Amino acid sequence: MTTNKSESKVKVLIVDDDNDVLNLLENWLTKENYSVKRAESGTEALNLVGIYAPDLVITDLYMEGMDGMTLLTELHNDNPLLPVIMLSGQAQIPDAIKAMHLGTSAFLTKPINQNEFLETVKKVSPNIDKSILNEFSKSIIYKSKAMSDIIEMASLVADNDVSVFISGSTGTGKEVIAKAIHEASSRRDKRFIAINCGAIPEQLLESELFGHEKGAFTGANLKHEGLFQAANGGTIFLDEVGDMPLALQVKLLRVLQDFEVRPVGSTKTYPIDVRLISATHKNLENAVEKGEFREDLYYRLKVVPLDIPNLTDRQDDIPALVEHFLNAFSKSNAQDKKKFSPDAMKYLCSMPWPGNVRQLINVVDLCATLSKTKNIPLSLVKKAVHDDPVHMQTLKEAKQAFEKGYLLSVLRITHGHVANAAKIAGRNRTEFYKLLNQYDIEPARFRDKKNTEKETS
Amino acid sequence: MSDEKIIVQVDPDLEDLIPGFLENRSSDVEQLRVELDKSDFESVRSIGHSIKGVGGGYGFTLMSELGANIEIAAKESNAELILENINRLDEYLKNVEVEYA
Repeated sequence: MTTNKSESKVKVLIVDDDNDVLNLLENWLTKENYSVKRAESGTEALNLVGIYAPDLVITDLYMEGMDGMTLLTELHNDNPLLPVIMLSGQAQIPDAIKAMHLGTSAFLTKPINQNEFLETVKKVSPNIDKSILNEFSKSIIYKSKAMSDIIEMASLVADNDVSVFISGSTGTGKEVIAKAIHEASSRRDKRFIAINCGAIPEQLLESELFGHEKGAFTGANLKHEGLFQAANGGTIFLDEVGDMPLALQVKLLRVLQDFEVRPVGSTKTYPIDVRLISATHKNLENAVEKGEFREDLYYRLKVVPLDIPNLTDRQDDIPALVEHFLNAFSKSNAQDKKKFSPDAMKYLCSMPWPGNVRQLINVVDLCATLSKTKNIPLSLVKKAVHDDPVHMQTLKEAKQAFEKGYLLSVLRITHGHVANAAKIAGRNRTEFYKLLNQYDIEPARFRDKKNTEKETS
Repeated sequence: MSDEKIIVQVDPDLEDLIPGFLENRSSDVEQLRVELDKSDFESVRSIGHSIKGVGGGYGFTLMSELGANIEIAAKESNAELILENINRLDEYLKNVEVEYA
């Protein structure tokens, strides 16, 4: 029996106060290519779980000290998704029922039959394809438990088409997770299109998402396909979906219910096959309560919620993240890699990081740029953190970001037709060209249909 | 006491574990006698329960049955039946011969 598709093994923690049982189970499991750790008591098992992070726990029911039921409860307090197989010398139905109610995945009676045991282990092992986890680790740096739990959940849903809803503070990397889910799914060969719903005015957003017919509104001289159709077969990521106007929420809900879109000004609908991932930094439950966000849409979007932790809640990841960003900086700037002095690294790990990973990147880049020595000193880190307290955009930066996003949207909708785009924007052509130059935007490239992907963020 | 060998076929992958396993069961027999002498039926039941649970997994089906008999007899505080099954287990352990196949 083969248990793994890749070299990585499913990690099993076996718990029994009888060494002969542990020996036997370890022998059976190791032979089947599982990675096994053993604990002789419930307490030892709980200590090991944090270090070993098993994919599955197999425990005896009756043990000295902490029994299997208590262990199961404790394990699930921390990770309700962790599969647990309970073994018992007695086939007592009340025990089995209680164990099942408490969330055990399977209940086996001793003496244990090897085939039955291994079949059960195979069946309840989390269906995590380790190759999917490997896919995630290509783009996401993590080793903290908080992040591992998120990635495990994301791995489980990656290859299903369920709607994933990512919440988390600004800078936590919501889009990175969304992209990683797409890359780990069978849709990876199709497009991943991200759009920031909060950065585009309502009418443009509608056209951007659902498309429009020629003549649907002033300046719409050409038919526009819309991002849902462009993402057909792939994944669409609606960032800041909490900022979507109510009128568009209705339309989005219809798309999710009917799997078809109707472009602006069209009487025709087009079937779509798109996986939707959405995100917001807002508290959508509050928005629903205030009537700012449709409850039915909220539940449609939030089939699988993923709450990305703040950087301070995954401090264990900071050294690895810093290392990764230093490597990236050194590569992109063709410089020798620098490193943080131990006290500087300690300081980085203890910072509150209100701007999360994004702020950490800024600080690392700034330090790598400014440091004259290979070892980045604490004093420089302190200065960099002080100079970039939250990395909030200034009003000017925010306005410019919006303006650029707007110009890109208008050009996309008009397929690079500057006169039409200028008309929509309410500017004359000269002024419009001036704006395009200011942001280094080349309208010609919007005339190429293939090149219409995300540029709004 | 019968000297007839009892042949038990065991998975060759378990070969390294078997000597220690059988040694532990011999210790169990000694302990069972100690607990029975004290009329500590709960300890007897617990040991019988363990033997029942582990024997069959290693391939010693009869051992599991004897463990179960001891467990049941201990629940009924039936010292005579316990002793009978301890003796049978003792004999079994002395005569058992393992074939790895």
